[in-house]
This record gives sequence, C-alpha cells and structure tokens, in this order.
Amino acid sequence: MTISGMLKAAIVATIGFAGVAKAEETVVWWDFLGGGDGVRMKKMIEDFNAAHAGAIKIDATTLEWGTPFYAKVQTSAAVGEAPDIMTYHASRIPLAVEQGVMQEITADDWAAMGLSSADFAAATWDAVTIDGKQYAVPLDTHPIVLYYNKDLLEKAGMLDENGKPKGLDSREGFTATLQALKDSGVKFPLGSVTADGNFMFRTIYSLMGQQSGELMTDGEFLAGDNGDKLANALGVLAEWTKAGLQSTYTDYPATVALFTSGEAAMMINGVWEVPTMTDLNAQGKLFNWGAVELPVIFDKPATYADSHAFAIPANQGKEMTPEKRAAVLEVMSWMSKNSLFWATAGHIPANGAVVASAEYKAMEPNATYSTLTANMIFDPKSPLAGVAGPIFDVMSTYFVPTLNGEMDPAEAVESIKEELNAL
Amino acid sequence: MLTNRRKDALVAAVLVAPFLTIYLLVFVWPTVQMFEISFTDARLIGSGDWVGLDNYARLDSDPRFRTAAWNTAYFVLLTVLPGTLIALLIALGVSRLKGRLQAAILALFFLPYILPVSVVYLIWDWLLNFQFGITMHILDILGIERVPIMKTREWFMPAVAVVTIWWTAGFSILLFLAGLRAIPAEIYEAAALDNASRWTTFRRITWPLLWPVTTLVFTIQLIAQLKIFDQVYLFSQGGRPNDNMVLVYYVFQRAFQQDQGGRAAAVAVTLFVLVVVVSVLQFQLLRLAGGRR
Amino acid sequence: MTAVGMQRANFWGGVITVLTLVCAILWAFPLYWGVISSLKPEDEVVRPYIELWPENLTFSHYYTAVFDTQIMTWYLNSIAVALGVTVITIVTSMLCGYALSQLKFPGRKALWWLILASFMVPTQALIINHFVLISQLGLINTWAGIMLPQLIHPVIIIVYKQFFDQVPKDFREAAVMDNAGEFRILFKVYLPMNWGVTTALSIVTFIWTWNAFLWPFLSVTKTEMMTVPVGITQVNDAFGVYYARQLAAAVLAGLPVALAYLLFQRKVTEAITLSAGIKG
Repeated sequence: MTISGMLKAAIVATIGFAGVAKAEETVVWWDFLGGGDGVRMKKMIEDFNAAHAGAIKIDATTLEWGTPFYAKVQTSAAVGEAPDIMTYHASRIPLAVEQGVMQEITADDWAAMGLSSADFAAATWDAVTIDGKQYAVPLDTHPIVLYYNKDLLEKAGMLDENGKPKGLDSREGFTATLQALKDSGVKFPLGSVTADGNFMFRTIYSLMGQQSGELMTDGEFLAGDNGDKLANALGVLAEWTKAGLQSTYTDYPATVALFTSGEAAMMINGVWEVPTMTDLNAQGKLFNWGAVELPVIFDKPATYADSHAFAIPANQGKEMTPEKRAAVLEVMSWMSKNSLFWATAGHIPANGAVVASAEYKAMEPNATYSTLTANMIFDPKSPLAGVAGPIFDVMSTYFVPTLNGEMDPAEAVESIKEELNAL
Repeated sequence: MLTNRRKDALVAAVLVAPFLTIYLLVFVWPTVQMFEISFTDARLIGSGDWVGLDNYARLDSDPRFRTAAWNTAYFVLLTVLPGTLIALLIALGVSRLKGRLQAAILALFFLPYILPVSVVYLIWDWLLNFQFGITMHILDILGIERVPIMKTREWFMPAVAVVTIWWTAGFSILLFLAGLRAIPAEIYEAAALDNASRWTTFRRITWPLLWPVTTLVFTIQLIAQLKIFDQVYLFSQGGRPNDNMVLVYYVFQRAFQQDQGGRAAAVAVTLFVLVVVVSVLQFQLLRLAGGRR
Repeated sequence: MTAVGMQRANFWGGVITVLTLVCAILWAFPLYWGVISSLKPEDEVVRPYIELWPENLTFSHYYTAVFDTQIMTWYLNSIAVALGVTVITIVTSMLCGYALSQLKFPGRKALWWLILASFMVPTQALIINHFVLISQLGLINTWAGIMLPQLIHPVIIIVYKQFFDQVPKDFREAAVMDNAGEFRILFKVYLPMNWGVTTALSIVTFIWTWNAFLWPFLSVTKTEMMTVPVGITQVNDAFGVYYARQLAAAVLAGLPVALAYLLFQRKVTEAITLSAGIKG
C-alpha cells in the first residue's frame, strides 16, 4: 500500500469511527435497585444495549436506596447534573413534581414510545398523573409479601398439605404460629427490619389498611379513629417483639441475611427479594421456601404496594437534545415492553400486555401471590408522601423505638400525629 | 529606600495574592452568603424571599434541632476529655519503649488515624454488627445479652465516641510524645536520685511540664468534635438518623435532603457562632497555657 | 536507690510495658479483623462463631471490587484531587508565609490576623454556600470543584513563616547584595533549606485530602467523579449478603494512605506535630 493509500485508509477509518461515535447516544441512567432485582435490571440493561448496539448505550449506576438516592437526584437536578433517566417511586411523584425535578411525559412522547393509558391499569396510570399530566412511565407494581422457610415450618408442624403456612388467619392465629416456631427452636420466628423505620412503613401501612384505616383524610393526618388503627398496627408488632417472636434492631441487609441463613423462619418483605431466594436456591444454598400474600391480621386483606417508574429529570439550565430524548423514550418503551423478565425479579409488571401473557401467568412464585393485586393499597397522593418523603421521615422516626419496645404505641401515635399535622 | 519599600510591597502583593484570592472566595464570600440566606426562605439553589428572623425563631421549638444540639454536646463530652486522657496514657506507655519496638507499637496506635472515615466506618460497622459482628460473639461467650449498639439511642453516641477515639487518638498520642521528649532527661535523673516514686515523678514533673500540650490536645479535640458529621452520618445509615442527629447533620438534612437552604443556613449560622465563641475561648486558654510554658 | 527498690521499679516498668504491648495489639485488632474478614467467602463471614483465620482463603472479593466497581476511577479522582490540593496549598502557603516572614508591606499585620482568625471558621458550616458557589462556577462534578474549598490550611502558612523566620539573616542579605530577586531568594535559598518541612507538610496535606469525606460527598453527584472514601459507601452494586466484599473495598481504600504512612512514618510523625504548632 502506498503512503497516500494508508493515509486515505486512516482518514476513512477515523471518519467512520467518528460517525459511529456520533450516532451512538449514551443515556445516563440512575437506579436504586441494589438487591436481587438489581441483578435482573443489569441483565435487562445489557440486553437493551446489545439490541441497540451502535445506536443507544445505557450507562447505568446504582445508588443507595431511599433518602440518599432522592437527595442526590434533587441536588443534581438543581445544578443541572442529573442523569438522563432515573427510576422513581410512584408514591413520591407528587413531591417530585412540586420540587420541579421531573419533566412531563407529553402526549407526543407517549406516541413515540407506542404506549398509552390503555397499556396500564387505571390505578397505575393514575399514580404517575398529576393534574392531568403524566410524569413517569410505570414499570411495575411491587407489593410486600410473606416469605417463609418451608423446612422450618414443617419441622414445627406449621405447614399444610399445599406447602403453605398454617393458622395465619387472624392476629391470634399468626401469633400462635410464631409461638409454635419459637417452641420448635427457631431463633427468630419472624425476621423484621426493626432498625429501619423506612422499611417497616410498608408493613404498618398494610396493617392499617386491613382495618380500613387511612393516613390522610381531607388534609388532616390520622383523624378520628385512624390514630387508633395505627396504634393497633404498631401494637401487634410491638407484642411480637415483647414475646421474643421477631428480630429486634435488625437493619435491612441483616434481615435478609437472617432469613436466608435459616435463623428467621418468616420474613415480611417486598417481592424484590424473590430473585435473591431464587438464585440462592438455584445454587443449592437455600432451603425450600415460599411466598404468600400478606395474611389477614385484622379485618380484611390489604397489602401496601408502590410502583417503580422511569422518569426524566428536569436538569436546571440544561436542554436535552431531541436525539437524546428520543433515545431516553426508546429506553423507557423497551423496558416496559420487555418487562416479562422484570417479573422474574418478583415484581408485577405494569404493562398490561405483559401481565396478560401466558408466560407471566405460569411464573412462580408470582402466581401464588398474584391474588393480592385485588387488595393493594397505595400511599396517599400528596407531596408529603412517598419513599423518603416527609411522612416517611416522621413516621419511621417513631417506628423504630416502638417496634423495639422502647416506646408505647399510643405515645408514638400521639407524637406522629403532632409532627405530621405540623408539616 | 522608598522605592525599595514600594518594591517590597509589590512583591508581597504578588506573593500573597493567590492565597488571599482563594481565602476570599472560599471563606469570606460563603460566610457572608450564609448569613444572608439564613434570613430568607431560599431553597438550596436559587434565591428566596426575606423572612426576617423566622428561621431562627423556628429553631426554638424544633425538636430535631434540640436533639441535634444535645447530641453534639453529648458527643463532645464523651470524646474530648476521655480521648485526651487515653492518648496521654498510651503516650506514657509508648514513651518507655525504645527504638524499633517503639516505632512499631506507635504505628499500631497511629494507623487508624491515617484511614478515611468510611473505612473506619465499614470496619466498625462489621465489628459491631448485631447479627454477625465479632463483638456480639464475644458477648455471647461472656454470657452477656447482645446489644444492638448502633441501633439504640443509649448506645449510639457512646459507641461513635469510642470509634472516634480509636480513630483519632493517634494524632493526640504523637503530640503527647513530642511533649514528653521535650522534657529534659536530667530532671528525671534528679528525681530518681531523690528516690521519688513513679507517681510522684509523674505528678511533680511530667504532668506540669506536659500541661501546655495537654491543653493543646484538649482544645484541638474540642473544636474538631463540635463539627462531628461523617461518623454519625455513616453509622446512622439504615438506622435512625433523626434520633442521632448532630448539628452538621441537621444542616445537611435541611439543605441537601429537604431542599430548605434558608432554614439550613440558620442552623449553620448557629454552629458557626458556637465554634467561633469556643475558638476565642480556646485562644485565650492557649495564651494562658503559653504563659505557663 | 536500693536494690529492692530497683527491682520493684523494674517489675512495674515491665508490667506497664506488657500492658502497652497488649493494648497496641487490641488497638490494631479491628484492622486485622477487617482484613481477615475480607479474605473469607461470604457464607464464611456470617458463621455464628469466631474464626480468626479463613478456612477458605479467597481473594475473590478484591477481584470483584477492582473489576466490578468503579474503584479504579475513584482512585484516579482521589489521586488527582489530593495531588492538586497538595501542590496548590503548599505553593500558595509557602509564598504567603515567605512574604509574612521576610517582607515589610502595608496590611501585613491584618493578614496575619486574618490567617489566625481562619482557624475559627468551621468549614462544615459553609457547606451550603460552598455548594452554591461551586455550582455557580459550574464546577459540580469536577476535580476543581472538589478541590477548591479544601485549598486553605492556615496552619501551613504559619509553619512556613516560623521556619523562614529561623533562617539566618546573613543568607538573605548576601542574596540581596547579589541583586537576586525575591523569587530567586525564596526558591534558591529559603526553599532548599526547608525541604524537610515541605515534604512533611505535603505528605500530611495529601493524607488529609485523600481522607476528606463531607465535601467530596456533597459536591459529587456522579459516581464516576467520586473519590475513594465516598465511592465505597455510596455505590451499592452488591447482591445478597455482601459484608466481605464491602470490607475488601474498604481495605483497598485505606491501603494507599496506610502504605504512605508506613513508608514515610518519620515524616508523617514530624508533619503531624508541626501541624499542631509543636516543633518536632
């Protein structure tokens, strides 16, 4: 090859590269999915990148769940350093909109994604809608469930012929089952995140819902007998602590570890830990396990649920290019349409077509607890609500002392009421 | 002569300018702004409306501010004096050793100080882990009931104090060792000839001669611990931050988590004034100590 | 002193020495435990009994920490920031200390008081406005943004001034006679005479900056710009039980400064005492 030929080739190669590099949009992505579901999400991101090689590339980061995540999002958006796309809890969208950290998903956007309200359940669609405008694309609904160790329950004689826990039909029944487990030598019949009020919010809110209790009525917190209902909910858990039936002062990772190591026989936790169990089980490192809908401890079934959704941060002082926005929309659309795999993370996909598919319906343990979708309750729709929001912050502060026997439930409710109404 | 002096001034201006520029930019300007926004309802970024003394008035009845102020004071109490005394004891022990052994032992005591706070946090969080920590296994062996150290109100501050002393004692130990080395050996020899007991020697010679260093260590600690944040923040993760609140944490929570720059600034100003007052007192104390040196 | 008295003194002296040694070992135990735990498989670290040495020694957590997290990027950030802060702080402080020590100029007294006064400023109280300032300068998520508020260590100026004060006047006079400019005098005469101080102060500034937590934690919102101490606590890419993996990251984060200390032990010791205003 002559020198000029080599030069030519080099130029062509450079231009070629530059062309490719320019065409590929990098979408900066933040999520807070650190558990077993985080592994599933990483796989989905890989699949997306593979399917869009040369066109769109997701550059993903996982940050600490909860307050740290939302504090980062908020400050980053204010100084124009937020990512292009982020996961967000639907419960917190009213707060996000009030703070102006999210961009609206316009009708054109929905059209570009090939999605519309028809693809989602009414409640799910409503959760991302504020004043008639949508701010996020729902990915899933994630309720809490009751995980149980079949081996330990069987040993205690608490497993029925269908492999489900026995006796969990009332407050007394639940306590009796826990006691039976304790008597059979189980260290912690119930593993609970008693050190971190943020996680207990979900259990306690569910128990309030089982008594038809509401947090917020006409802008007032815990009005009427709602305070008593909260006290009842706290009372059950406090009682279990007192009787030595649940783990105390346990933080989130430790709770999961207690359950997976067989020290705790049951655990109330989000469906997002399903993959942790599935994977450990597949590696032969886990006992036989199951998950069922949160049992009725009070009057009627009710389970707290929230939604993971995708949102576009409103970066102050920075305009998103149309190419970038198109890429972000493609990401959201693809994730929604391919959320069948996300269901292996335990979640219930938000996309109706996915839920209707035969593959989804055959999926375990999702099918076992799928009945609960009829009994789901959500956060009040208020800028004060949501993960790491003001209500969360206040309530979790008092949950910890109550659940560990430092504070009386009634006293906690009084303080919560006072602080919430002062917000 | 006059031109020489002008030349000096010009050169000095050039030499001092870089430092002074940075100083004005990162010390003076932010301080002025901090006072300014503490009288507004500004968010973290962006300006707000003038609200007068509202942000300060609210502190009075703010339970979380009260918790923060109390915890900060409590933490100072738990770390400053005990930390100084422990460092002194260790320094006395280490100063008896010679040569390589001394260097090695000193290194063991000093090593934690050299580590980033997050490393200290990860190590101790693991050590004290309620379910799997080695301290809990030791409690089990001793037949003592396990204590969820970082999750209870009673144990949190004392435990963070212990960790902080472990982390920072190396610094104080070095200062004490320098102080001990500065005491002339002849004085000790004279005391030995007088058959003075170990305790008398310490009380009559070491302690008074070491006094200036002791005040120095004490006051450095005092100022440093008033500004506690890192350890409390890290150890509170996944726990109960609102019960463990300290002043800097409260500034952080208001500003960066709740997006209330104005209210955060009021807390920051309070902290600022507190530290300045304590520093002025410290300065006076040091002058007194210097007089005795 | 009588023979018995001597013996007794030796006995108690021995007891104190042994106590000191035992304390030192206990003191260092948390470090040992952190390192050892990071070398165990995850299911081994959660065993319900004490295991002082791993049954199955593994370096896999280090492999994960290095290859599956951004720790290498964080190292780069930490090194860049710590070096930048060290160089800028040392140079500006040295210049300022020289002017204060050797030159007569209007405002000298005022400057001196300004420096002393800055000891009182709690930078932790300024975080809000540092954040505002850095964002106005457009420096959030940049090395410069992490560095800027950390560039002031008044004590370094004071130490330099003290050392320059001690240089005999003859040197300066001789240089002035030779018509040497101030910069020449500083860099050819004063600086070489105080290389030891400069190295000591540089090492300690580097360590301080490497270890800084609050400001880097606040001023960085992107994981790829984090420093090591911030990164290892903020980014959660783990799966299931991950205590050992986190400890491996902790060991990696502490290693450079620990090594720096062990290599330059004497210098670090000197610098620490200098920084407290005690001459070593």
